[in-house]
Amino acid sequence: MRPFSYARADGQAAAIRAVSAGGAGTRFLAGGTTLYDLMKLGVEAPERLVDINALPAIRGFDTTGPRELVFGAGARMSDVAADPRLVAEYPALSESLWKAASQQLRNMASLGGNLLQRTRCAYFRGGEPFACNKRVPGSGCAAREGIDRGHAVLGGSEACIATYPGDWAVALAAFDGVVDVAGPNGSRSIPLDALHREPGTTPEVETSLGRDEMILRIRVPVTPLGRASTYHKIRDRESYAFALASAAVALRMEGEVVREARIALGGLATRPWRAREAERGLVGQRLTAEAARAAGDAALRGARPGHHNAFRIELGARTVADALLIARQRV
Amino acid sequence: MSDTSYPDAPRIDAWDKVRGALRYAADDARPGLAHAVLATATIACGTIRRIDTAAARAVSGVRLVLTHAELAGVKSPGFIMGGGYGFQSLQPVTSPRIAYRGQPIAVVVADSLEAAAEGARLVRAEYAAQPHQVTLDAPPSDIIAQADSPLPKPMFADVTAGEAEAAFAAAPVRVEAEFHQPAQHQNPIEMLSTVAEWRDGHLTVHEGTQNAEAIRHGLARQLEIEPARVTVLSPSTGGGFGQKNSLQAHTVLAAEAARRLGRPVKLVVTRAQIFHDSSFRPASRHRIRIGADAEGRMQALIHETNSQTSRHDLFPTLYTDLSARLYGVPNFRGRERLVRTDVQTPGYMRPPFEHAAAFAVESAVDELAYRLGRDPVALRLANDATADPITGRPYSSRHLAECLRRGAARFGWDRRSMEPGSMRGEDGSLIGWGVAAGAYKAATAPAIAKLRLSADGSVTLGVGGHEMGQGIRTAITAVLVRRLGVEPGRIVLEIGSTGGTPQHLTAGSWGTATVVPVTDDACDALLRALEALPPAPAHAERLRAAGRPFLEVEVSRRAPGQPEAAMGRLNTGLPAAVGPAYPEFVSLSHAAHFVEVRVEPGTRRVRVPRVVSVVDCGRVVSPRTAASQLRGGVVWGIGAALREVSEVDPRHGGFLNADLAEYVVPVNADIGTIEVEFVDEPDPRLNRAGVKGLGEVAMVGVAPAIANAVHHATGKRLRALPIRVEDLL
Repeated sequence: MRPFSYARADGQAAAIRAVSAGGAGTRFLAGGTTLYDLMKLGVEAPERLVDINALPAIRGFDTTGPRELVFGAGARMSDVAADPRLVAEYPALSESLWKAASQQLRNMASLGGNLLQRTRCAYFRGGEPFACNKRVPGSGCAAREGIDRGHAVLGGSEACIATYPGDWAVALAAFDGVVDVAGPNGSRSIPLDALHREPGTTPEVETSLGRDEMILRIRVPVTPLGRASTYHKIRDRESYAFALASAAVALRMEGEVVREARIALGGLATRPWRAREAERGLVGQRLTAEAARAAGDAALRGARPGHHNAFRIELGARTVADALLIARQRV
Repeated sequence: MSDTSYPDAPRIDAWDKVRGALRYAADDARPGLAHAVLATATIACGTIRRIDTAAARAVSGVRLVLTHAELAGVKSPGFIMGGGYGFQSLQPVTSPRIAYRGQPIAVVVADSLEAAAEGARLVRAEYAAQPHQVTLDAPPSDIIAQADSPLPKPMFADVTAGEAEAAFAAAPVRVEAEFHQPAQHQNPIEMLSTVAEWRDGHLTVHEGTQNAEAIRHGLARQLEIEPARVTVLSPSTGGGFGQKNSLQAHTVLAAEAARRLGRPVKLVVTRAQIFHDSSFRPASRHRIRIGADAEGRMQALIHETNSQTSRHDLFPTLYTDLSARLYGVPNFRGRERLVRTDVQTPGYMRPPFEHAAAFAVESAVDELAYRLGRDPVALRLANDATADPITGRPYSSRHLAECLRRGAARFGWDRRSMEPGSMRGEDGSLIGWGVAAGAYKAATAPAIAKLRLSADGSVTLGVGGHEMGQGIRTAITAVLVRRLGVEPGRIVLEIGSTGGTPQHLTAGSWGTATVVPVTDDACDALLRALEALPPAPAHAERLRAAGRPFLEVEVSRRAPGQPEAAMGRLNTGLPAAVGPAYPEFVSLSHAAHFVEVRVEPGTRRVRVPRVVSVVDCGRVVSPRTAASQLRGGVVWGIGAALREVSEVDPRHGGFLNADLAEYVVPVNADIGTIEVEFVDEPDPRLNRAGVKGLGEVAMVGVAPAIANAVHHATGKRLRALPIRVEDLL
C-alpha cells in the first residue's frame, strides 16, 4: 500500500480547506468502503485523506419534515434503511439501501460516499495488464471486446462501458433527489440526475462535483408517490451482489389509471438512469401487465448490446415491468 | 463395533470456533515476524526479460526481495500425481519462465505487511510474451488422449465394459448430448497462509493444510534437506475442499525468505492471488450417449470428456469412473482427454470429477426418462446395479435404491406431475421438481495410531488426519467415548501435525473410513494391555493400581488387500489411498438429491426453496457433523449449479473475477430448507466400523437435480453450468 497521510477534520470548513489546499492527491474519506478497497487494489492512490466521519452536521437524517426528507451525507446506510417512516412511506428508498452490499458494509458506508461508489468493472479494478480509460486515461477499454456481461447497455461510449454500480442513487433519481454540496467557493445544489456523468471521451470524470466539493446532504421532496414504490433488483444471488438490472419505480394512481410514474434504472447504465419517456408513456394508461411491459421496453429504448450482455436489455425491460406491478400493489 | 448407531453429539471444536479461539497460521504474530507479499506476472505466457526490484528494495521497511535470480537453486516439489508433493511441478520464482498470468515473480519481505505490499507493487518486470491459449477450444496438438499418455495404467486407462458402440447403435431409444462445466475455484475462508521459522537448522511451518506430510517431504525435496529437519503444524484448517491437498507454491518461498532473513516470515496469499496460485476445478466438456431398450433399461453408455490441464503437468481425470458405476449398464465406454492450456495446474476441487460427470450423466438420464415418458425416479430404480459393471465384483454394500425411495417419500415425489411447466406456485412462479443420484468411491488410506491412557484418566490419540471443518476430530472423539468411556474433555487428539504419527493426505472422503477403524484397533490393543493389569472399576484406576503413569499402544492398518508397500508411501508423505475397487468387492457411497426450484415468471430468477438429500455412507459416526457436511455439500451444489464460474478472458489468460464479491458463491438468502437423512447401514466388509465416505458424495448429483428441476419447471434443457438468468429469459 502506498504511504498516505491521514487527518481527521474537526469542522466542515476546515475539511474543505484541507482538501482544497492539499491539491490533486487529497481526498475526503467517509465510510471508506470503496476508497480503501480501491487503495488496496492500487487503483486509487491518494496522498492525503481528510476524514469527515467526525463531523456531526452531516451524520443525521430527518424523514419527518413537511416538504422534504433530509439525509446527512455521513448517515450510515444501515441506519437509514431501517428508518420506519422510510420503510412505510418510501419503500423504494429503503429497499435500495437494504438490497445494497452486505450488512457489514451498510454499517460502515455513508450515504454520500455511496453515491460516489466506483464501478465494479473487472478491467478497472484489476489493474495491469488491462487497458482502462477510467483508470489510465487514453489506455483504451479492455471491456469493449472482453467479458462484458455486467457492463452498461445504456450511456456507454467508445471509451468506456463501465456500469454505475450503486442502488441508492437510482432510487434518489426516481424521486428527484437533490444533493447539497459545499466547496471553497460556497455551497450549491445539484439535482441527483445531474450529479453523475456519462463517460463520453472522459470516463475518468464521473461526476459534476469539484474535487474539493463535499456532499453535505441529500434532499428528497415529499411526494405522494412514495408509498406505491419499490426498488426491484435482479442479481446473480439474493444478497451481496450488484444488479444485473434494477428499477426504482413509483406510482400515483387514480383507480386503475396511472396519473404519475417514476422509473429509474440501475445496473444497466453508466450512470443512474431516469427513464422519463417510459414514465410519460404510462400516464393516463391502465396499469396492465402489457402496459408495464411496454414501459419496460420504452425504458430500455436505445440500449446497445455488447458481446455477452444483450440479455440484460430484455431483463431490464422485465425488471421494470415487474417493479411497476409490485408498486401497484402498494397503492 | 458397527452394530449400533452413534448418538448425536456436539462438534467438539464448535465453541472454540465461535469464540475465535482456534488459531490459524495467519493469526500468528510472534515476535520478530516479517511479512512477505508476492508480486505476480501480468502476461499469460512467456519469459521475464528483466526484473527491476530497486524501487521495491527502497521502500522503508523492506528487508528482502527474492526473484528467480536468487531462488534458481530451489528444486521442483514434483507434481502430486507424478510422484511428487506439489499441486503442480512448476515452482514459481525459480526461473524466468512464465506459464500463466498471476504466476508469482518475486517475494518482497518487510517489517510490516503494508511495506511488503508496497514493495510488491513496485516490482517491475519486462517480458517477452508468447502466444497463449486458455480455453478448451484448443488446436488438436494440445489435446492428449489420457490412455495414450505417460500417466500410469491401469489407473488412467479408459474404462470399458462390453461393446458400447454396437449396443448404442442397436438401442431403440438413444440420448446424445454435450455438457459444459466451467472452471471454478474453492475459495475456503482461510487463505493460503504460512508462517515459516528456522531454529538451529530446523524448519517449522505453520500452515492450514489437508496434507502436512506432503508439505514436510516436499519442502525437504525442494530445499534438499532431510525431512527430519522439517516440522509442519496444522492442527486445524479453515476449509480445504481439495485446494490444500498438497504442497502449495508459496510455502517454499516463505521458508526461503525466513532462512535468508534469519527471522520468522508470514506469507498470506491474497484472495485475488489464490485464483492463480493454487489449484482449481478445471473446465471440462462431456459428450454423453445413452442407449436404452423400450423398457428403459440402459444398454449402452458412452462418456467422452475433454478436461483442462496445464502445459507443465497432466492433471489426470477419472470422470468416467462415476458414469461407469452409477448404474448397471452392461456396455460402457469412457474416453478421457486432456487439453493443455496456459494456466496453473488444476486439481481436486470437491468432488473433483464426480460433480461434473454427474451433471452430464444425470442430466442425460433425465432426458432419457422424458424420451421414454418414465418417471425419473422409477427409471433410476430400474437401472440399479447388482454388481460392479467394470470388475464384475460385488458391492460391499449398495443402498442407492434405498436413498431414492426414502428421498422420494420424504420429498413427496408422488405429487409431481411429469409434464414440464405443469406445476405453478400461488405467486405464478414455475415450480420444478428434479432428482439426481450421486456416487463416490469409498476409499481408504493406511494409518498408524498411537493411543495413550494416562493415570489421570486422560486419553491422547495420535493418528493421521486433518481437521478442515468436516468434523474428523468429533468423529474420532465419538469412537473414543464409546470404546473407552472417556469424557470428550479428557481427550487430546494429535492430528494434522508432523512429528508424531504420519499424516497422510486427508481428502477423497477417506478420512473417517481411515481413522475410525484404526482408532478402534488401537482401543482393542489398549484394552488388551489393560487386561494384564490388576482389575479395577475404571481404566485409569487400573493404571494407578499398577503404579503405571501411562499405557501406550501403537497399531497400524491398511486398506483391504493393500500391500505392505503402502506403509512406505505413508511414511514418505505420498498418497496411498485405494478404492473403490478392492480385491473382493467394490465400495461406493451413494446419494439421492431431490430439489424444488421456483422460476420467477418475469425475470426468470431461479430459487431453490427445498432440497431433500438422502445418503448412504455406511455407518454415521458423528451424526451432527455429518448432517452439517451433507447440508454444506448441498449448498455448494446449489452454488455450482446456479452461481459459480471463474471467468476467463481469452485475450489475457488467468481468471477475471478474482474476488469474493465477483466470484459468486451462495449466501444465506439463496438457501431454503435442506432436509438430510442417512441410511446409516454399516458396511462391515469394507472395515470393522462399517464406515464409507461422505464429504464428496454430499455434493455429487446436486447440480443435475437442479438442472432437471429447471427443465421440469420451464421445459428448457440447460447443459452448461452455471445456469443463470440469461439462460431462461
